[in-house]
Amino acid sequence: MSAVPIKRVDGVRVAHPVGDIDAANASQVERELVESLDPDGDCLVLDLHETRYLDSAALDMVFRLNERLRQRRGGLQVVIPDSSPLGRLAAIVGLPKVIPVHASVRDALARCSQDREARRDSEPPPLIGGIGEPDDSRHHCGR
Amino acid sequence: MKQVGSAPVQGSEATGSRPAGDADELQDLADMELVYRSLEDALSGLLEWVRSELAVDTAAVLLLDEDRGVLVARAARGLEEEVREGVQVPLARGFAGRVAAQARPIVLDDLKTADVVNPILRQKGIRSMVGVPVHVEGRVIGVMHVGSLVKRAFAEEDIARLQLAADRAAVMIDAARLAEQRSVTEVMQRTLLPDEFPRVPGLRLSAKYLAAGSGIKVGGDWYDVFELPNGRMALVIGDVVGRGVTAAAVMAEARTALRAYLIEGHGLREAISLLNDLLISLGRNRAATVAILELDLELGEIDAVSAGHLPAVLVDGSGSATLWHLPQGPPLGIAYGHRYEGERRRFGADDALLLFTDGLVEVRGEVIDEGLERLRGAAEAAATGEYGSLADRVCWALAGKTAFEDDMALLAVESMPLGPVVEITLEAEPGVLVGLRRTLGRWLADVGAGENDLFDIALATSEAAANAIEHAYGARRATFEVRCERRGEEVRVTVRDEGRWRASRSNGRGRGLAIMQGLMDSVELDHDEHGTTVTLVRHLDAGSA
Repeated sequence: MSAVPIKRVDGVRVAHPVGDIDAANASQVERELVESLDPDGDCLVLDLHETRYLDSAALDMVFRLNERLRQRRGGLQVVIPDSSPLGRLAAIVGLPKVIPVHASVRDALARCSQDREARRDSEPPPLIGGIGEPDDSRHHCGR
Repeated sequence: MKQVGSAPVQGSEATGSRPAGDADELQDLADMELVYRSLEDALSGLLEWVRSELAVDTAAVLLLDEDRGVLVARAARGLEEEVREGVQVPLARGFAGRVAAQARPIVLDDLKTADVVNPILRQKGIRSMVGVPVHVEGRVIGVMHVGSLVKRAFAEEDIARLQLAADRAAVMIDAARLAEQRSVTEVMQRTLLPDEFPRVPGLRLSAKYLAAGSGIKVGGDWYDVFELPNGRMALVIGDVVGRGVTAAAVMAEARTALRAYLIEGHGLREAISLLNDLLISLGRNRAATVAILELDLELGEIDAVSAGHLPAVLVDGSGSATLWHLPQGPPLGIAYGHRYEGERRRFGADDALLLFTDGLVEVRGEVIDEGLERLRGAAEAAATGEYGSLADRVCWALAGKTAFEDDMALLAVESMPLGPVVEITLEAEPGVLVGLRRTLGRWLADVGAGENDLFDIALATSEAAANAIEHAYGARRATFEVRCERRGEEVRVTVRDEGRWRASRSNGRGRGLAIMQGLMDSVELDHDEHGTTVTLVRHLDAGSA
């Protein structure tokens, strides 16, 4: 049984933890999120609309996860609905300065595909058509 | 003879009246060993008496293993190798087998011409034998036989005396078996029922467990209470059909599996369905009823699923009691793949709930509705009492009206208002944080905090608590204290530990402190040689309520 339900929308992983993430379960959540990443997965949406509390341990985890995705030249997209008190918490720790925060999953997915387009434009074509860059295949072996 | 015969009976009495406690488990094992050993000793003593009284060379007792349909040598005199070699005689075959199958004495005047399975009898050179059945309540449980190395015609009087000795052996064996089963069952039950309840502010739990009568009647009733990973409380009451060690063993499996499913994070409906399928796939030929409830004190709600279990009794704040007929699915162990449904209802401060097994309400010759109505009445009478726990008072109110003929378990759950000040002592481990936030949420809603206030204060307190837990890092069973108080429009929370202040180890950037400062109006840290106290103050936002 996993702590975080993860589904795939338009080829992007969308995780929506329900309830609380704190010092007791943050490392388990992190492990599951990292394991869910595809070898070519550059984007992960963390949908917090059903998440009630995140404590500092959970926020540390979110920042670490973002770092990990940035190393793959991707990024984390966080969804916090306008009505959620998590927005104030995110502001206190400066999360929106580092990680894009969206009001809805749809916005987050749009940003993912924008980033993808931008990356495709700015990078040389892959050496082997369709499989991805050498970097990505290294991740594949690591999984 | 009296002397040797009394040992196992004394042993069984001793196992029945021990106080509860950890050291007792060792005592239980010692008792069981004593029961075993003294049965062998007592039987050997008895056989020695038989040997001299009847002037025979050998004497032996074989006990019937009903499952395998064989007689197993258990004690012998002059024929000790029979026990040592674990001689087994199939029922209805051989000498002892025929005595058992025909349940009557059999005399063999000359072994040379008889059907004898056991080679030891021939090797010993036994010529003549008499065997008599050992029975308990008309059931054959074994055979006692004697043998003579010289050919001999046994008299009626000899047979009668041998039967007397066999009857004596039956009493010893029966007493030893009861003591043995009871010890095993009692040890299991004591191990499996919760030693202590989780301590949650605003929740009062009490329970009664009565094992009916004596001996192997002890059954598969159980209750359980534990905190779920979402901070809510799981309440379980169950009853495995039947009695004795097997029922207790199935109870142990059911209880453990259920805890595992729920702590893993499965919901009630899923957990009960998984448990049902598991018990069927294990091939346990025992049905069980169970009710599982999830209590959300913060929302004031309770959710329930039931597999054929009895209704619960709800007592509201005014002391009026009603039966709650839980949504019914089939008992566990019957319908593979059944999906159980649940039902949710309000359960606020001052509400109480009784969960129980049928021993509490059943009286022979009466329909169950009468017993339920009697319990409902008892719950109303018990609701307002001052002495003892609610579970105690319910049992007192039923005393004299219910015979308690069967085992019974009763779990009483009371939701109490938190009051203006809450003081909590928590173990210094991260698992307590979610429960702390739920308790704070409940208390803050009670004192009129709005949604934003509630979030901010609960999270800031949780951060202070997480620091206290880190301070205690490495210490064994350290605790810390949280005190919450409302003074006018101000909420003041103190979190006190006995460790030294340090910034969070996990990020070294003091993100926890930043969160506390960002969410609260003031954050004060005091640390001295006795420990660290964090004081958090927040003015309630009138507009957000």
